[in-house]
Amino acid sequence: MSQFIQATLYGLLQGCMFGLVAVGFSLVWGVMHVVNLAHGAFVLLGAYLAWQLNAAFGLDPFLGMVPAGLALFAFGYLLQRGLINLVVNAPIFITLLLTFGLELLLVNGLILGFTADYRSIPTTYAGKSMVLPGDVRIPFGRLFAAMLAVSVTLGLFYVIRRTRVGLAILATGMDRGAARLMGIGARHTYALTFAIAAALAGAAGAAVGAVSTFSPADAGRFTLFSFVAAVLGGLGNTSGALFGGLLLGVVEAWGGQLLPGTWINAMAFGVLVVVLAVRPQGLAGKAFYASRVEV
Amino acid sequence: MPEMQPGVTQGAIANPAGPTRPANGTARPMHPVAGWLAGAAIVLAALGLITQLYTGQVRTVTTIFMFVGLASAWNLIGGFTGYACFGQVGFFGLGGYATAVSMSHARLDFWLALPLSAAIGGAFAALVGWPLLRLRGHYFAVATLGVAEGLREIVINLPDLTGGGGGITIPTAGDHAPTPWLGNDGFYVLFLLLAAGVVAVAACVSGHRTGYALRAIHQDEEAAAAIGINTTAAKLMAFAGSAALTSALGSAYAFQQVTIFPQRLFDVELTVLMVVMVILGGAGTIAGPVIGAVGIAFASEWLRQELPRGHAFALGALIVVAVILLPQGVQNYVRDAWRERRFSLLENVRRYRL
Amino acid sequence: MNIRTLIVSSAALALSAGASGCRSKGDAVPPPAAATAATPEVEQKLTLGASLSLTGSLAREGGLTREGYELCAKIVNDKGGVSVGGKSLKLDIQYQDDTSKPDTAAQLVDQFNDKGVKLILGPYGSATTEAAAAVIERNGQVMADSAGADDKIFQKNYKRTFAVLSPATQYVASMVQAIADLAQPKPKTIAFISADDGFSKTATAGGVKRAQELGFKVVAEEYVPNATSDVSSALTKIKPKKPDVIIGSAHVVESIAIVRQSVELGVKPLAFAETIAPHTPDFVKTLGPASEGVLGSTQWTTKTAGSDKWFGTASDYAATFSRQFDGRTPAYQNAQATAGCLALVLAVEKAGSLEPDKVRDELAKLDEATFFGPLKFNPAGQNVAKSMSVVQIQDGRAVGVWPKDSAEAPLRWPGASPGKG
Repeated sequence: MSQFIQATLYGLLQGCMFGLVAVGFSLVWGVMHVVNLAHGAFVLLGAYLAWQLNAAFGLDPFLGMVPAGLALFAFGYLLQRGLINLVVNAPIFITLLLTFGLELLLVNGLILGFTADYRSIPTTYAGKSMVLPGDVRIPFGRLFAAMLAVSVTLGLFYVIRRTRVGLAILATGMDRGAARLMGIGARHTYALTFAIAAALAGAAGAAVGAVSTFSPADAGRFTLFSFVAAVLGGLGNTSGALFGGLLLGVVEAWGGQLLPGTWINAMAFGVLVVVLAVRPQGLAGKAFYASRVEV
Repeated sequence: MPEMQPGVTQGAIANPAGPTRPANGTARPMHPVAGWLAGAAIVLAALGLITQLYTGQVRTVTTIFMFVGLASAWNLIGGFTGYACFGQVGFFGLGGYATAVSMSHARLDFWLALPLSAAIGGAFAALVGWPLLRLRGHYFAVATLGVAEGLREIVINLPDLTGGGGGITIPTAGDHAPTPWLGNDGFYVLFLLLAAGVVAVAACVSGHRTGYALRAIHQDEEAAAAIGINTTAAKLMAFAGSAALTSALGSAYAFQQVTIFPQRLFDVELTVLMVVMVILGGAGTIAGPVIGAVGIAFASEWLRQELPRGHAFALGALIVVAVILLPQGVQNYVRDAWRERRFSLLENVRRYRL
Repeated sequence: MNIRTLIVSSAALALSAGASGCRSKGDAVPPPAAATAATPEVEQKLTLGASLSLTGSLAREGGLTREGYELCAKIVNDKGGVSVGGKSLKLDIQYQDDTSKPDTAAQLVDQFNDKGVKLILGPYGSATTEAAAAVIERNGQVMADSAGADDKIFQKNYKRTFAVLSPATQYVASMVQAIADLAQPKPKTIAFISADDGFSKTATAGGVKRAQELGFKVVAEEYVPNATSDVSSALTKIKPKKPDVIIGSAHVVESIAIVRQSVELGVKPLAFAETIAPHTPDFVKTLGPASEGVLGSTQWTTKTAGSDKWFGTASDYAATFSRQFDGRTPAYQNAQATAGCLALVLAVEKAGSLEPDKVRDELAKLDEATFFGPLKFNPAGQNVAKSMSVVQIQDGRAVGVWPKDSAEAPLRWPGASPGKG
């Protein structure tokens, strides 16, 4: 039993991190209809930035989430404003290809700059665990990462729903033409959205660096799990993406206990396909946009 | 519904003096027979090319043929119908593994395994297409991606059947082999014929009612259904057909490689390459995927040889630049530019800009 | 017929006429620049082909392998080159990037063959080596396999590929043997965690078999997805069984995860043993004090017994390597690469010719001591004369602990400090 509780708790902690990465992905998809295949690369950029700050100044990686987030915010804004806005009106293939090309650029740039070595940001406390009854353990590093992830997501939720900037983003996502007529600058709003997503990814990357190892080759995996978590939660639904991430983490944890370890990934994709076939608007809440063909 | 016959236009009838620039600004499409002649000539040329190449180059060109076939097959569902299938490599791997498993466990002859794999691919696509083709746009893309990734994981987890992560080997040595290995030249011809076959199928579909139905679905699915097209049947046919052709190519690839691994046969990078080739070549056209496949494959190979350390980086940069400057693809750009005499690439950039 | 049709048709016809008509290249005649031993006066170089993973998932190890090959070329050329039939030939290695993909590796070997390069240095990794070996066999080339350890490669009756490194089955079995020989008191139970790729699975199978032979109780055999950094599900399943030793058969990232997550989850064996990860610099740097006492297996240490005329002893090799590469200590991937190159050099010298069949026969008969250990191949092409070494992380460094005669320090047991976690 304690084994089961351990697995569930660990899965929830892991799921919070998935959620943080997925929230930005889901936001960009829902508002701009852009599938950002380079999202995983942003996570890694944040991780390497935090690593570099740690190596140069000894900055704690959890504190490093802030500069990583800010740097990725600026980077994301410029990228959207300068590059992705050029193809925003194009069919989805074009944006997919553009972001794929970006991913190749970023990942290989990282390999050229940092080599493909696996790195991690060691801290003195991250490996230690809190011990609960039944010898169930909660590692401090993962706990911090999960708490930060949840608070950042809640913060984002607040910003989107309660501030003018957030409402502008929502409005632009719902109907760009009408938003423009209302005086909202679409280019700037899109760039802000992308910047927020990149910042979240970068911050998540710093957290990943603290609790586990990373290498440029992991970018694809992060993007893929963002997909799954975002779809589970419903695209454009920020709290849904967090929920989707949690669900993914728990499903993987339970799958890992009940089935041989190598089935974990298969289960994640199986869940994805089933959810899409049965309820494409995700398990949490209403769809932002029509997903099905009604004929 | 007025019968639309390519090749016969007002201009030629109205002015018997010969071809002129038609008044309404549209160009005459190419006569279909000329297209088939050109295709046949190119195939002959490619056959002749084999005498000029060394073994290593033969393999490279064989890979190019494979991509031509893959890109053209994807074009059926992605280009014509507009359904962004991001799991195409799943069918590739399925066909490859079907062949590998049947040849090594059941000792099936390759020439039987090939159509069997194509049939399995098509049937599987029809099965998953039934629920998934109801999805649109990004949802369909993600769902098919999930199917492909899921297939890979399933293959990894059935080690007794497929060898799992360690790979499976088709017996090709001596009398263990159900079919002797075809040799580099043999595979060259096989892939050439397969690629030619796929392009021919695409050309047939394009000119046939089904092609028009698919294009109608791409442009406006509700309207297409409203005028009586059975969209479900058309989409399923396109999906299953595209999958069967891709599985056939996967089958040939598995035999060529002899030992296959799930990471390579189900590599999502192959799907993305197919999409890049079709889009940059010109989606929804016949020649577009061919141009795109040849161009990208050459570029990728050249970059790998010239820049051993930075070639993936350069390829990424190339894709970004090409997508910005030529979002409609080479074929469409050339056609439009020729017709309207407007060659500016910057106009292209403004076309999709926010 | 309109203009467009005309243009396209004539272009296509011209293309086909031009391509098929002109001249035939004949039966794969290579260009004269890469002549075989028939004209040794023209050939001033011994050209070896190397298809390596310079990019892709194995880029790092590919880089290490390249360093090993480069060092071999440099030292051999500094000492006058390879003496072939009375002449001294300079060693020239041509590198190509196989992007860590097996089909590209196979293609590159074919391309080398076109250029007349028949003697090939192996790529990094079992999958790429397996793909290359198939082509080598077909083309009549010869390959020195320096980094493909999976026994599967050698169960296919290939006669032209020779592996200088110990096979995969030894990677875990050697650690089990070391524990049985040296650990006091002897532990009773072992749990295995293996990655899902062919090499790791073969190594695990070899280890499980040896463990059972030596009287250990195998309490678990868990598999984790390849390249995962989260092995928590396997560890959670193992924890209640309280194994004395946890043995991981995987690559760097999974191995680091095993140790680190064991600390997180409170799994406390007497010792950890990982195969190839412990003596990579990342391992100690990432895990810090948690890496103390972890066992590892390696193809080579700086104390391996054996010496040869080109590189001297293992520590001579290490010194030469340091001088060449910014004072770094060589990793075993460097040493095994140099050994592969060395095997070809020795065979060419003994054959007195560059002809692939003669070189192949000399390789099959080779029985030499080298800085890498003894080089002697069984009929399948594996180097069975050499045993692997077992190391342990002591004070942040990997020191050899087994076999006893080349050990640097005694084994510290228990490996894991009880105060951790």
